Amino acid sequence: MKFETNIFINCPFDKDYFPLLKPLLYVIKRIGFNPRISLERSDSGEVRLHKIQELIESSKYSIHDLSRSKAKKVGEYFRQNMPFELGLDLGCKNYKKGNKNKKILILEEEKYSVQKALSDLSFADCKCHEGKSIELIYAIRDWFAENGIKDVPSGSALWDDYNTFYADLYVEKLKIGFKPKDIDRITMTEFMRFIDENLK
Amino acid sequence: MSKKQSSSPKRTHVVKRESGWAVKKEGAKRATKVYQTKEEAVKGAQKDRDSGSDVVIHKKDGSIQKWEKSKKK
Repeated sequence: MKFETNIFINCPFDKDYFPLLKPLLYVIKRIGFNPRISLERSDSGEVRLHKIQELIESSKYSIHDLSRSKAKKVGEYFRQNMPFELGLDLGCKNYKKGNKNKKILILEEEKYSVQKALSDLSFADCKCHEGKSIELIYAIRDWFAENGIKDVPSGSALWDDYNTFYADLYVEKLKIGFKPKDIDRITMTEFMRFIDENLK
Repeated sequence: MSKKQSSSPKRTHVVKRESGWAVKKEGAKRATKVYQTKEEAVKGAQKDRDSGSDVVIHKKDGSIQKWEKSKKK
């Protein structure tokens, strides 16, 4: 996999986030890039931190969604994995030789929430998705376009493509005996494989 | 990477837009119409269903809420 087209994705991997993760993966592949997530291979013998480091070092681009870092109820811990991995990535960009041209996008749900919680990042350009799949797609396509990627389709074209893709997924999975409720629960590995097949 | 053209029968999608819900024939460049509410959009899509398209009603995250088969055999 090529460094120039790899994109490290730092986000939660729980089912509450899947409505954002799925269009994120689709749009990245649709634009011709390769998302790298820690779920792409499952090896319990592999130390998670080493896997994260390998993904960061092998990716020119990275997307860090800090929108779900905040605790939702009293007594719940602040989720530190996402800010920690962003720190690793910034370290890799700034201290590892030859990595100055790495491009980093930070996503947030509410405007300026990242700067409130992480004032060291007050310089950073964050994009806001408001927790909506459609807004996330617009944010990602704008980021690609701002970074000089040519011929990026419009946000609405990508959103429509994603909806059509999901209909294709639905049809194909029903054909092999899935129930509708099972289709939304397929693993991210299967989901990414289907994107590849659909875009061939 | 380019988008593969779907080989499936005709489909009309009811999809979320920033400002409401759109009815859009698959492959068309523009939506047929954007409605304020999803209920109105689903109703508006029935014309396509009568004339031979499946109507695919999406949730706001793009996944499938309901698939209505074409009324035309």
